[in-house]
Formats: sequence, structure tokens, C-alpha cells
Amino acid sequence: MALPNSLRTSTTPPELELIATQQLIEIIPLVSMEKTVFISGAYGPLRPPNKAQVPLWIAVNLKMKRKCHIVPPSWFTVDYLQDRLSLETSNPAFSELPFRYMEISKILLDVASDDLEQPDKLRSLLKDLREARQAKSREGLKQLDHSELSVYSPPLPVIVSTTDALVQLPNLSAMEINEIRPYFVESMSILSKLALPPQPGV
Amino acid sequence: MHTDIELLARHWSNERNAPHILPAQHDLLAAILDHLRRQSDAVQLLRGDPSLSDDEHLRITLVQLDIERVKFIVRSYVRTRLYKIEKYARYITANADIQTRLTAAEREHASRHADLTDRHFNYSVLQSLPEPQRHLDDETPYYMPPMMSSPDVTRPVFVHALEDCPPVVLPDGTRHEMLKGHISLTHYSVVEHLVARGEAELV
Repeated sequence: MALPNSLRTSTTPPELELIATQQLIEIIPLVSMEKTVFISGAYGPLRPPNKAQVPLWIAVNLKMKRKCHIVPPSWFTVDYLQDRLSLETSNPAFSELPFRYMEISKILLDVASDDLEQPDKLRSLLKDLREARQAKSREGLKQLDHSELSVYSPPLPVIVSTTDALVQLPNLSAMEINEIRPYFVESMSILSKLALPPQPGV
Repeated sequence: MHTDIELLARHWSNERNAPHILPAQHDLLAAILDHLRRQSDAVQLLRGDPSLSDDEHLRITLVQLDIERVKFIVRSYVRTRLYKIEKYARYITANADIQTRLTAAEREHASRHADLTDRHFNYSVLQSLPEPQRHLDDETPYYMPPMMSSPDVTRPVFVHALEDCPPVVLPDGTRHEMLKGHISLTHYSVVEHLVARGEAELV
């Protein structure tokens, strides 16, 4: 079979992770390496203790062999996430987070928790953020359900829908989109079928 | 400026999320396959060298990992196309403009697949039916649902604008601005041209 059933309707989380690991991240290498040309680009040279920019997949591989420390991105700190969480809970809109924050934070917590400050606190903040945002997505599905949808006035709405044929999703991340995809796509297909004018003779 | 791999990853994601088959990326794929071959050859050559230092070993493992990652994306991309080609084989053979989106090998596969399934349906069922019901094409509009499965272009997709796009026209006639960075859920047919021009991607 060309494409397994489970892959036909949606992307899987490991596939999203694969895409996310293309992103660059800063490391402090513990081994030196000459500049190397990969198919995905040329990276290096690594000269300890100088910092270097490499794709996340290289960083993870080196980290697992204890050959580097990973410098967490600026948004992945307790202070920043705490700030986002208070925005998230006080504001009806999704707060601004990197598009692939879920994938990257999971990878960093899995392989490089010793390079992070207060990894347990980070983990619980991410969980709280996720729950707050999930609740909003579900709220959004309820809006999709109405046949007449209007644009909310500011503060920024959770999910703006000008008509039932287009829904805007500001600041939703890749993994969150993937999570709501089956319900949203199916609901919208059914809604637009219902909105079609009746065909003669059927 | 995007690397070949970033471009391929985008086409992969588009192809996976689009209900319709997208234009083949023949040159891009050929360049990447060529690069893969050269990189694999280089690794083969280096691995045979017994005087390699540990540092060199580390580099080679990274290069190999890179090769495997690229191979995964290439395979998944090609298989996604193959899946759509087999599913819509009869539709593709009946539409000349869709065939221009396919490579020569894909076209060949589509027509062979359509032939084989036609013959199979004929032998197993159709030949025992009354004459007016033996057709596999939809020229005689008696039967619902249609005999030929075609892509559902009204299926909703999540679209991410890569730049400020000209306004799109929704099915009910309203126009809508899509600015850079916006993510929307809308019918595929509404944004099909933006995806084809690379102004938006499907996520």
C-alpha cells in the first residue's frame, strides 16, 4: 500500500518533530569538528568552547553522546513561559508562541533537561499552557458550529470566522493544528454541504 | 533563500495536506537524489579507510544520519503521490491537464493502474450486468454516487500565508485578505492558486 491508512488524513507527531528538528539552535560543543557539508546545508566548524549554530537534529545527536550542551532558545525559560501563561489565562486570544514550540520543547526536555533551568517547572508550565489553549480550541469548534459567524471586536478573538467557509487561527502552533484537524475539517465539510442549495431532481 | 531540503519538506507537507495531486517537482527531486547518491558514495569510501580518527567517525555518523533523514522525506513524498495517483487513476487518465502535473513514470503508472482495475471490474462484475449498466464512466448520469472517484477540492485545509497574498474569494463571493503569517482554515479550492505559486503553504 502506497500510504498507510494512519497517514492519509493527517501528519503524525513524529513527522512534525522531524520537520521541527531542521530548525537551528545554539550549542556549546565539547568536541571539535571541521566544517561539514550535509545535504541540508553546511554546518560547523565546532571549536570548543565557542558557541555554534547547528540544526536541532545535530544538537540532539551530539547531546546524546554527551558531546555538547544545548543553549535553550530565548522563549524556553520559566520567566517567559510564566508570562505567556498569564496572558493565556487572562486573554481570550491565543498568546504568541513559536510555531513549533511544542515539538522543540518536548525534544529539549527529553534529551537536554540538564541544560535547562528548572526543567520540572518548565514542564508544568507547558502543560498548563497546553490545557488553557486546548480549552480555547474546543471553544472555537463551538463557534464553527453556528451557521452565522461574525467577527469579534478587539480584544483579539480566539478564532475569527468571517463566514462559515473561512476560519482564521492566529498564533495556533503546528502541533495544535494537527490535533484539531480531524474535527475541524470534518465539521466544516459537513457545514458547507448543508449550506449548498438543494439540487434539482435529487 | 531556502535550501533544497526545506523546499522538499514544504512540498511534502503540501502534498500530504492537499486533496488534489500537486505538480511534480521533477528538477528539485532529481537534484536531491543526485546529492544523496554523491553523499552516500563519499561515506562508503570513507568508511573503508581504517585510519579514521574518532572525530572523523563522528562526522560520518552525522552525515549518514542526514542521508537517512532526507531519504525518509523523499520516500514519504513519493509515496503520498503514488497513493493519490492510484486512488484517482481513472480521473487522471481522463483529464489531460492533470496529466501535466505528473512525471512520465507517474503517468505511465496511472494509466496501467487504471487499465488493470478496469479489466478486473469487467471480469469480476460488470460483464454479468445488463448492457446499460456496464459502463465505468459517468457519461450516462443515472447512477449516484459517481463511478469515477475524483479529488474533493472543497475539502477544508489549514493554510499558512508565507507572504502578503492578494485577496482570496470565498465560495459565497466575499473577498478576504490573507496577510503574511496568517493561518486560516478554508476550502482547498479557495487557496489552490496561492499554494501553486508558493505564496502559501498547507500545514
